[in-house]
Amino acid sequence: MSKKMLIVFLLMTIPTFAADSQWVLKQSTLTYHVSHPLHESEGVSHAARGKGVCHDGQCDFLIAVAVKSFDSGDSSRDLHMVQVTRGAEFPIVTVRTRLPESAASSETINADLEIQFAGRTAQYKKVPFKVEKQGGETHITGTIPATLSDFKIDPPSLLTMPVKNDIPVRVDMTWRPQ
Amino acid sequence: MLKNGQCNLNAFLRFLAICLLLQVAPSVVAQTTTGVVRGTISDESGQPVANASVTATSIDSGQKQTANTGTDGTYKLDLPAGNYRLTFEATGFKTFEISSATVSATVPEVLDGKLEKGEPVNGKPAATQQDNLPNAPSSSTAPSLSDLGLTPEQTQGNPREQALLDKRTHMLKIHQRMGLITTIPLIATVVTSLNAGGKNTSTASRDLHTALGGLTGDLYCITAYYAIRAPRVPGTETRGPIRFHKIMAWIHGPGMIATPILGIMAFDQRNKGEKVHGIAQAHGPVAIVTAGAFVAALLSVSVKF
Repeated sequence: MSKKMLIVFLLMTIPTFAADSQWVLKQSTLTYHVSHPLHESEGVSHAARGKGVCHDGQCDFLIAVAVKSFDSGDSSRDLHMVQVTRGAEFPIVTVRTRLPESAASSETINADLEIQFAGRTAQYKKVPFKVEKQGGETHITGTIPATLSDFKIDPPSLLTMPVKNDIPVRVDMTWRPQ
Repeated sequence: MLKNGQCNLNAFLRFLAICLLLQVAPSVVAQTTTGVVRGTISDESGQPVANASVTATSIDSGQKQTANTGTDGTYKLDLPAGNYRLTFEATGFKTFEISSATVSATVPEVLDGKLEKGEPVNGKPAATQQDNLPNAPSSSTAPSLSDLGLTPEQTQGNPREQALLDKRTHMLKIHQRMGLITTIPLIATVVTSLNAGGKNTSTASRDLHTALGGLTGDLYCITAYYAIRAPRVPGTETRGPIRFHKIMAWIHGPGMIATPILGIMAFDQRNKGEKVHGIAQAHGPVAIVTAGAFVAALLSVSVKF
């Protein structure tokens, strides 16, 4: 193979590799909300890790967060949450989704999510998220309409009264292209 | 009069004992009874798979139990209540696994399995429902947990720790129920104290107050036992309302010991026709502080202030 042909070949391959890009989760706040007849409580985690890999115009995203990283402000309640969600046995919650690369430039995205939690997998279709561009970063906010029954979690009870089945998870993430 | 009073007291105590048994019994029974897991195993076309083996492995103890499907593809397993991993295997099919299923004594768990044709894959969970999503991530480019910098130690489960947490929750649930039950005779004891110490009060009123106080003390001891014996989770710092709950225990705990001792002294003095004197005079104030701390402890974990 002559040098010219090699250069031509390399030039042809560069655009293909350049089309692939990656996203990294820079910072995040995930908040679950639990309702009980006597009071409401929230657990917050800033420990999520995430990555998106784009190829052929489609991006596969994976977000993972440790169950134990959620803090509700009460150590006993947090331990109880880890117990009922089987967080010692299944320590990581993962969220997977696939989005078109162009989604980053839209104002809202409707994502199909696949969430693995408490040893179960649940799918949520067309979950709306708001997208904001901030400099080179992309800020995404939304709420995942999760329920305890989606993951076959028995509702924990306080004073013999169970919590509500709905545990919406507020998502606030900042992604940065790599 | 006294006989009537004793009769009423006995009936009241029997009533309380029945209430107590009704509250505690379900949680005790739940631990010892068995549950049922049943379901149907079918192939990709929905046809039942006969003679497939279904193995339930207890996540807590590691014990295994196996059943085979009949000609209609159905199986049934009688298992002690708990958490299980279920593995479905049949010749000519890939192994299918349900990584976690909870078997309860009250409701039968229905777990159906769909087997894909192919060689069995041991130890790897089958991809359940993964391909149903129209835009599910492709396996070729999708990032993995290791891409996120998570180590196997961080992602692997710890069944032993889960069992510890399960035991802790179970004991604290009983603690919670017993605490609620204890509140009933506690309030009744405080109410009956109004007629127990005066000059013109009858012996029956004092006996009722004493009996209720004794019952409160007994129930309190059971309540405290389940809190004290609940397993501690290493590396957990006490934060939030539970901290106040525990601080209150340092007040009502000693109070629950001091109150009956002072009460017996006061009781003896009153029965001798004497006015309550000396340290026995502290019975009332100590009892009020104790009851107050107990109620505050209860409210601290019940209501958000």
